[in-house]
Amino acid sequence: MSGDRTKVRAEGLERRFGHLLAVAGVSFEVYEGEVFGLLGPNGAGKTTLVRMLSGVLAPTTGDATVDGASVVREPERVKARIGYATQEASVYPFLTVRENLEFRAAMYLEGRAAREAVEDALARFDLGGVAGRRAGELSGGWRQRLSIAQAVVHRPRVAFLDEPTTGLDPLARRTVWDLVYAEAARGMSALVTTHYMDEAERCHRVGLIYRGRLVALGTPQALKEQVRARYRFYRLPTGEPGAWRGRPGVVDAWQRGGQTRIVLEPDAPQPADAAPEEPTMEDVFVLKIREEDAHALV
Amino acid sequence: MRWSRVRAVAKKEMLELRRDPILLRVIVILPVAMLLLFGYAVNFNLKHIPIAVWDRADDRIAQTLVRELSRDGKFDVVARVDAEAELRRLIDRQTARVGLEIPPRLVEQVRAGRGVRLRALVDGSDPTFAFQAQVGLQKAVGRLNARLIAARMLAGEAQPLPLELETELLYNPEGNTAAFMVPGIVGIILTQIAVILTGLAIVREKETRMLESLIATPVRPGELVIGKVLPYLVIAFADTLLVLWVGYVVFAVPMRGSLALLLLLIFLFVLGSLAVGIVVSARARTQIQAIFGTLVYYLPSIFLSGLFFPIEGMPRVLQAVTYLIPLRYFLEAARGVMLRGVGLDVLYAPFAALVVFTVLMLGLATLSFRKRLL
Repeated sequence: MSGDRTKVRAEGLERRFGHLLAVAGVSFEVYEGEVFGLLGPNGAGKTTLVRMLSGVLAPTTGDATVDGASVVREPERVKARIGYATQEASVYPFLTVRENLEFRAAMYLEGRAAREAVEDALARFDLGGVAGRRAGELSGGWRQRLSIAQAVVHRPRVAFLDEPTTGLDPLARRTVWDLVYAEAARGMSALVTTHYMDEAERCHRVGLIYRGRLVALGTPQALKEQVRARYRFYRLPTGEPGAWRGRPGVVDAWQRGGQTRIVLEPDAPQPADAAPEEPTMEDVFVLKIREEDAHALV
Repeated sequence: MRWSRVRAVAKKEMLELRRDPILLRVIVILPVAMLLLFGYAVNFNLKHIPIAVWDRADDRIAQTLVRELSRDGKFDVVARVDAEAELRRLIDRQTARVGLEIPPRLVEQVRAGRGVRLRALVDGSDPTFAFQAQVGLQKAVGRLNARLIAARMLAGEAQPLPLELETELLYNPEGNTAAFMVPGIVGIILTQIAVILTGLAIVREKETRMLESLIATPVRPGELVIGKVLPYLVIAFADTLLVLWVGYVVFAVPMRGSLALLLLLIFLFVLGSLAVGIVVSARARTQIQAIFGTLVYYLPSIFLSGLFFPIEGMPRVLQAVTYLIPLRYFLEAARGVMLRGVGLDVLYAPFAALVVFTVLMLGLATLSFRKRLL
């Protein structure tokens, strides 16, 4: 990728809170028009990372360039160039949908440009029908839609969306991703955090963050290839994972709808009745974390 | 009703309280502070009342009278003048709060058996104070009278009452308490609206996590602070005008000085108070903490500003503390403008103090409001 197609470049970003190392030396890039998923369990450091990238939290060490501006040296320039949707949908409950958008637009634009941006966002996010409703009366899905619309009302070239789908039903989640891709289609880069495994599949590329470290980085396909190369995945017709755990050559075994899914070392013999399976993002997640924990113990 | 559940709820509540460091401090500090404030600040036995004397006699009796005044430290003679206008001017400026005119040839007149009239001018803006001052004067004159009568009797001559005290209450001759209280109420309202509402306004954003979204925009701290504060400035001003108008219509509270000066005063004080609210809310994490935080500011303001309890009645140490209370200066100036009708030439000191307070607090507010988390 050429330099100016890189919209976010994190270089050794690190943040300590007292003794706690919340984010440890994270480096990655997000390219123009890319939807980049930051995947990790709760407390992994996703939000801390996003806060540093959006200029609201100073890194302890390291730096990141966001749309050409350094988060360490010029956080205010970063803020002017990005859109940021915080974890809880940040809308003012007593303001209407339109008033919420107008307020946020006024932080970046003025006069006609601001008014046009609001109308445009109402149309893009299909919020025209609820423009006069108070944001507090909206359902979770619609509130999240408004929250994202607010974050990108000024058409930033980079947007950070922190867990935009948490707590939403599958239909609403799908809508959120459609909206994110619609924005990406016009050239915006989006960094979206999530702890839903299946959502990683929706991203162009995924970074897996665990205990503050970036433990895997690549396209969902490439990450699955990585674990496929290192492990064997089987399905067994009986639901007795306990019988398999701890046996030599067995990495993991768990219950799945009356059947047992097992992950084996590559040189372990294939058990009887076992049907081979493809690795999923969940496998990637669990196995990468396992490897990381094993390293941590050494 | 199952007792084990009640106990579980109570235990959980205690644990929560114990782990909120700010609330815990408030629980301990608040009652102790209240007790100390009430114990020391609320003292109606005034001492060291500044008095100016126009002594036209300057003879033995006059000298004894002046000595009687300062016995037990009730009055401090702060000036000796030689015209009634001087007395009035000193009280206008609050250098003195009582003026005493001693008529000429006192010894001669008493010897002649004629009753002599002493004239006292007493600052009547605070009826409680005026009453105390009059009692003090009466006592001093009474003691002197007793000695004079005794001396005359020893000399074999009887005399009705040698000295008589005639008092003129200045500014508030009817002893209208409202006249004194309304400027104070304005001060309280301004403090409440400005400090408490502003305090809550920003913490509310923090509690609902809106602040993070806000500081991730290019908005500048100054823009955010001014924008947040502006509506409350308008509300505080409207409320003030309402109180002044009701005071005027219902309680006949006078407005003797310049209204423009009063509005300027209110503006200064509100701005400073709003800044205090911002400083509080920048530190507090929850609205409860903000409310208690503002109480820490509000309570001393009520007790130590001279609003209800005269500063002259407090111990010296506490009197020194009152100089740190902005409301004190506001009251001094507001009462000066409204009740005594004086202007900036007299009130420059409290005005200057308020300017310092406001500038300091605005600076602190801007500093305390950063656009970074943690």
